[in-house]
Amino acid sequence: MKSIYFFAAAALFAINAQATGLATCESGNRDGWQTEEKLTAVLKEKGWQVRRIKEDGGCYEVYALNEKGERVEAYFHPRTLAPVPTGAKGHKG
Amino acid sequence: MSAEVRVWDPLVRVAHWTLVTGIVASWITGELESERARHAHEWIGYAVLAVIALRMVWGWTGTHYARFSEFVRGPAHTFAYARSVAALSEPRYLGHNPLGGWMVVALLAMATAAGLSGWLSVTDRFWGVKWVQELHEALANTLYALVGLHVAGVIYTSVRHRENLVRAMFTGRKRAT
Repeated sequence: MKSIYFFAAAALFAINAQATGLATCESGNRDGWQTEEKLTAVLKEKGWQVRRIKEDGGCYEVYALNEKGERVEAYFHPRTLAPVPTGAKGHKG
Repeated sequence: MSAEVRVWDPLVRVAHWTLVTGIVASWITGELESERARHAHEWIGYAVLAVIALRMVWGWTGTHYARFSEFVRGPAHTFAYARSVAALSEPRYLGHNPLGGWMVVALLAMATAAGLSGWLSVTDRFWGVKWVQELHEALANTLYALVGLHVAGVIYTSVRHRENLVRAMFTGRKRAT
C-alpha cells in the first residue's frame, strides 16, 4: 500500500511542477508577432516539412521533418522567428 | 481464519503491478515537459504494450483464473450480476466478477489503443499530425478514467465481501468461501 501513497505524492508533485513547455519566450503582445504562415515559409525555404505549429510558453512550437527528414519539435521566437533552444526560459529572441 | 486458496498466479500479479507502475509513470512523464520526460514516456509506452501482449497470451494459455474464458461472461450473466449489485445482493466470485472481468478487458483495450496511438505519433508519417496527438490524449484520459472506476470497484467489492482485494493481488490468495 505504501507504493500507492508514493505514486500519489509523485503525481501531485508532477502536476505542480508542470511547466510551460520545453521553452518560454518573452514575446510581448501579439501585435508585434510574425505570422505562422511566415514561419512556415521560412522553414520550407530551409527544406523543412512543417506539420503543425502551436503556441507554447509564448513561443511558436513547430512539429516538422527537417531538411534531413528527421522528426523535430523546435521552438521559434514569434517576433524574430529565431530558433529558441529547448530548455530556454524567457528567451528574448 | 478460514482457508485460503491461490487465485492469482505470479504472472498475473507481476503483470498487474507492472502495468500500474507503467501507467502511473506514463501519466507523470506525459504531464512533465522536458526532453528526458518525453524520452522516458515513449519507452514506458513500449514497455506497457509488451506487458499487455504477454498478459493477452497468458489470457489464453495461463492458469485457470488468468484466462479470459474464466472471467469474460456473456451479456445475460453480466446484466444479471449488475442488477444484483444494484439490489445489494451480488454473489462473491473467487476470480473476477462479471463487471470486473469486463473492466479488465476495457483497461487492456484502452491501454493498447493509447499505446499504439502514441507509437503512431512518433512515426515519420504521423509526426506532428494534430488528430493523432489529440487522439492519443483522449485515449490516455479515457484510460485514466477507467483506472479510477476500476479502483472504485475494487474498494467497493472489498468492503461488500469484507476482504482486501488489493492484498489479494499481492499475495495471490483469497479466502476460499
